[in-house]
Amino acid sequence: MDTSSPSVLPKLLPYLDRHLVFPLLNFLEEDIPEDQDTTEIAKLKYGLLKDTNMSDFVGDLYAQLHDLPERPAEYTKKREEVLEQLHKYEEETQKIQDLLQDADVVNNLRSDKESNMKYLKDTHDVTPAMVEQLYDMGQFQYSMGDYESASETLYRYRILSVDNEKVNAATWGKLASDILTTNWDVAVEEINKLKESIDSRLLNNPLAQLEHRTWLIHWSLFPFFNHEPAREVLTELFFSPAYINTIQVSCPWILRYLTAAVITNRSRPGNKTNYLYGNYQKQLKDLVRIVRQEQYEYSDPVTAFVKALYVDFDFEEAQKRLSEADEILRSDFFLAASADSFLDAARHLISESYCKIHQRIDIKDLSMRLGLSSDEGEKWIVNLIRDTRVDAKIDYQAGTVIMNHPPMSVYQQVIERTKGAFFRTQVLSAAVAK
Amino acid sequence: MSRFFHGDSSSDSSSDEEELYSGDEATKAAEAESSEEDSSENEGDDSDSSSDDEGGKTGASRFLREASDDSDEEDEDKVTVVKSAKDKRFDELEGTIRLLENAQKISDWNALNENYDRMNRQLPTLQRDLDGKAPKMYIKSIAQLETQVMEAFEKQKVTPKKMNPIAQKSMNALRQKIRKNNKEYMTDLEAYRKDPEEFMKEDVVEETAPAPKKPKKKLLDNDTTLDANDEGFTMVGAGGKAMIYTPESILKHLRTILEARGRKNTDRLEQIKIMERLLDVAVTDYQRIRVLLMLIATRFDLTSGTGSQMSQEQWKLAQQGIAQLLDILEEHEEIVVVDSGAENPEDDEKAPEPSIKGVLEIPGSVPSFVERLDDELTRVLQSIDPHTAEYVERLQDEPSLYSNLVRAMLYTERLKANDKLTVPQPQESINRVIMRRLEHLYFKPASVVTVLEEGTWKSVPETLDSKITPRSEGTDINNLVQTLAVYLFKNAEGIIRARAMLCQIYFLALHDQYYKSRDMMLMSHLQDTIASFDVNTQILFNRTLTQVGLCAFRQGLVYECQTALQDICGSQRQKELLAQGLQIQRYSQITPEQERLERQRQLPFHMHINLELLECVYLTCSMLLEIPTLAQAGSSPELRKRVISKSYRRMLEYHERQIFTGPPENTRDHVMQASKALAAGEWKKASDFILSIKIWELLPDSEGIKAMLGQQIQEEGLRTYLFTYAPFYDTLQVTKLAEMFELGQQKVTALVSKMIHHEELAAALDQVNGAIIFRKGVELSRLQSLALTLSDKASGLIESNERVLEQRTQGTANAFERQGGRGGRGGRGGRGGGRGRGGSGFASRGGGGQGGGQQFTGGALGSAIRAQ
Repeated sequence: MDTSSPSVLPKLLPYLDRHLVFPLLNFLEEDIPEDQDTTEIAKLKYGLLKDTNMSDFVGDLYAQLHDLPERPAEYTKKREEVLEQLHKYEEETQKIQDLLQDADVVNNLRSDKESNMKYLKDTHDVTPAMVEQLYDMGQFQYSMGDYESASETLYRYRILSVDNEKVNAATWGKLASDILTTNWDVAVEEINKLKESIDSRLLNNPLAQLEHRTWLIHWSLFPFFNHEPAREVLTELFFSPAYINTIQVSCPWILRYLTAAVITNRSRPGNKTNYLYGNYQKQLKDLVRIVRQEQYEYSDPVTAFVKALYVDFDFEEAQKRLSEADEILRSDFFLAASADSFLDAARHLISESYCKIHQRIDIKDLSMRLGLSSDEGEKWIVNLIRDTRVDAKIDYQAGTVIMNHPPMSVYQQVIERTKGAFFRTQVLSAAVAK
Repeated sequence: MSRFFHGDSSSDSSSDEEELYSGDEATKAAEAESSEEDSSENEGDDSDSSSDDEGGKTGASRFLREASDDSDEEDEDKVTVVKSAKDKRFDELEGTIRLLENAQKISDWNALNENYDRMNRQLPTLQRDLDGKAPKMYIKSIAQLETQVMEAFEKQKVTPKKMNPIAQKSMNALRQKIRKNNKEYMTDLEAYRKDPEEFMKEDVVEETAPAPKKPKKKLLDNDTTLDANDEGFTMVGAGGKAMIYTPESILKHLRTILEARGRKNTDRLEQIKIMERLLDVAVTDYQRIRVLLMLIATRFDLTSGTGSQMSQEQWKLAQQGIAQLLDILEEHEEIVVVDSGAENPEDDEKAPEPSIKGVLEIPGSVPSFVERLDDELTRVLQSIDPHTAEYVERLQDEPSLYSNLVRAMLYTERLKANDKLTVPQPQESINRVIMRRLEHLYFKPASVVTVLEEGTWKSVPETLDSKITPRSEGTDINNLVQTLAVYLFKNAEGIIRARAMLCQIYFLALHDQYYKSRDMMLMSHLQDTIASFDVNTQILFNRTLTQVGLCAFRQGLVYECQTALQDICGSQRQKELLAQGLQIQRYSQITPEQERLERQRQLPFHMHINLELLECVYLTCSMLLEIPTLAQAGSSPELRKRVISKSYRRMLEYHERQIFTGPPENTRDHVMQASKALAAGEWKKASDFILSIKIWELLPDSEGIKAMLGQQIQEEGLRTYLFTYAPFYDTLQVTKLAEMFELGQQKVTALVSKMIHHEELAAALDQVNGAIIFRKGVELSRLQSLALTLSDKASGLIESNERVLEQRTQGTANAFERQGGRGGRGGRGGRGGGRGRGGSGFASRGGGGQGGGQQFTGGALGSAIRAQ
């Protein structure tokens, strides 16, 4: 769609909450060299946050923008107001907060919300209005930038409320809070919860489903690239039919992140086991298919790399794209951290398919293709041969690697094909018997 | 229904104009009917009470009047030629009567019976000549016959002696027939019986001395007197034609016409003439609108049959009538013509009052008129030979039709926005008009549409503008089609919505926006439901699919093109599927009824997709895909079974069977010979054959397409070559290959790499020497390849079992997980994962990560049809 500008930031922004955009802008600010002007970014930040209740910070920004020595008085005033409001909320919700901290009460709570509510009402005089107060307070805390408390408050609200719409909104709020407090484990849980609610609640409204999924995909980018264990789960999520459809239809730029994630997944430890490796191959295959399908809609160096390597088998092109992709990765908020592992994994991929196709390879040439010096290249190949147990030898004198591709024996093929059959049949019969 | 009845009513002369002008016709038709009845009665039914009654009522007095009337009309019609023919018939009748008399004398009942039948058969024509009156001598003879039969019958009863059984039977039959038949001529017979002499004499007089009176005039006089009684109508002009139509009487006239509408034997042309005159005298807009509504409807009524088409003149007049109607409506906002909620006032005398909100509502439907106008033009175009000047001439009427459509659209739009109406107007009428408009646009190239649009907006008054398609944006055609289609998506449903979608896709595909059109096609999910739509929509769907395929071809996407065109072109029924001509049915399975319907569905020629081009594109694509596949399959029967295009294979086989092949003559020959050359690795020859096909010139940017084809042939040629000749090589220099196929080394390497990677080619690249090294000993023995097939089938069986189980359990059985995911199985069921788990509410916190259901479907967005 837009290949001229390498940054997808403008496309991401509409799908993120203003609080979530803030770290992105911060990153952008850091990225700009010291000697350059950052007022543009500051202005953006100001515009972004001026509607929130983070009066201190906004006041500072305002001062910075207008070269004032200190915050203007209105912000101080606003701060007072905010604090007052907060205080009011706290007072109002004091009772229910206390109740929920009381172990006795919590022990009496069941999974059924209606009966919970009844129980609280009967024994502790809790009214629905009080519960609603919790929601408002959570929202207020979030708006103030007090994400941790917001998360907690919203959690409590969810326990008690029977209003499905609001519970859902609270879940979104909690996800944002968790993301901003970098509480990844919880965030991933919330994502799962949201996913389910989107699936079940909006079943009759495909458009809303699509929109919500788009949001969810964007929000989950945060834990995706910052929390190692989340990656596997989220890749799965993104590849699930509903979500891959969403990506294809409404936000093809996510493909960049998906591509990066799939490729970097390779270098993660524990992937050598057979099952996961097969999974990886499958993901790669899916990825290639989707990238190819969507190339008319979206292409950037990262996806172009995949295309050059797996669709066109043009190694030179792949090499070129790789260096471009590297740049992009380093300047991307989400991907900056994984740029190195991406590069590494991408080299692996290149050499893997290179070795598969060639019988005799010039080491110098290969090194060049991998963007390494000759010595480094040799080392690389030696490692490769060792790691992947390729049947290859280095002819030192000629400076070549000779690959040995034994043709797969036909007996082997038959065995391979029928290997899983017994197990699968067993599973099948078990399932039938159930 | 006896002929007397008709004759009477015309002479009684009510003031019905209709009767007046078509009196002759009516009587004739009635006679034909009555004579038919005669013969059917003769067949042997005993009773016919209705004719009995009528015959009874019409007494002798009637007969007398009838006779005089008849003679009057008779002499009007008399022409010399007719007379001689008539005489001949009279002679025949006389002959028969003579035979009858002879038979009577000898009491030969059998002969009598036969001759009686013969006489009755001769009668109808004679009656026609005499204007519905039976000849006197016929009456005389049947009268005599009756008496004789009666006597014979009575005699038979008293004499115990039996008659010959055959004669007995004949006599009985004859008696029955006579009894029945004579009822018809009761009056005549009575007259005859009263005074045979007089009766016969009269006949002579009639024939010799025609009455000078003109019946028409009499009738008209009658009419005018009636009119004169009514509101002081006066009659001028000696011809009796020109009546004065005053503004006050307009509505009255309209009512008469309306009552006559739909009846048999109304002379519509005459009505139209009257209404044209009425229109001239109409003073108020209300009257004008009323007359126009009626006039336009009547014009359309002129051709109500399925076989006939509207003449150009009438069509133009109707078109102008609609334009005039719209003119008035555009000028006077306070008068509206609405589909529903209005009724014509019962009382014609006074002018109708506008409703409380100041709007005068008149019932009628502008959308229906323009729709009908459109239909009529289509029907005309269907019937004209497209290669004549006449077709072009009629096609030139389209712009005026289109401008009517646009104006009707503006009008309905205004109606919809008008809140002063008593009943809000349905959305449906706007949708209908917009759909028509879209259907006039979607198949035309943008440049043509631009001209059309510009011309149209010029003809629309300056003051009017559309909210849906503003005048200012009229020039951007892509936008226009998009806006119209989007409007229909939002506001319409069912078939119109689907059609709008298809029209837009067609338009996009026509303008080389392949991906957009393809995505829309897939997102519409129409391929699932199209079978439940009506035939015309199905045809549109086929057309759209074809156009998308052609678009893919223009973009150089051979595979996509082939898959898109497969269904249409592979079936050998392109003509039928695209409604571009009737398929010649070898084993005629369709009834004439079906054929007639199919004829009605045919598209006018200017909308056709060039079938020869289509075939050429399809075959070329099939060649590019099939030849390498065939080469790859080699002699392995398993692989050979994988057929991409059945029809192509069939043609190829047929071509290969030919012993002698001459130089190619048609497109098909070209492609076939090119296929042969390509299979042999001679890409240059193949390329020559393909590029020498003339029809490519029809495509826009034919040079670009030829270049694309040339390149495709080179690449596929290389692949074919490698597949075919790999067994004969040990190593092969890449540069050599590049030289042979005139491709860049880079390209050759990439192609070979791809083949190696996909394990299509058992080889490896030697980077140092720049060579391809072929591996030996990979060919399988027959046993081995069969073993492989067997194992494949076994795993296929397991997979299908799993699929069945999955379907049965609705994907809830988490029992097994599949690895090695297969490609898409269609976008359906994609959200099955989330089902049945909505209940796990909030309290089960932390338990949310219980796997995302089953992910069997790796497919994205309807990927079943998507290229992958």
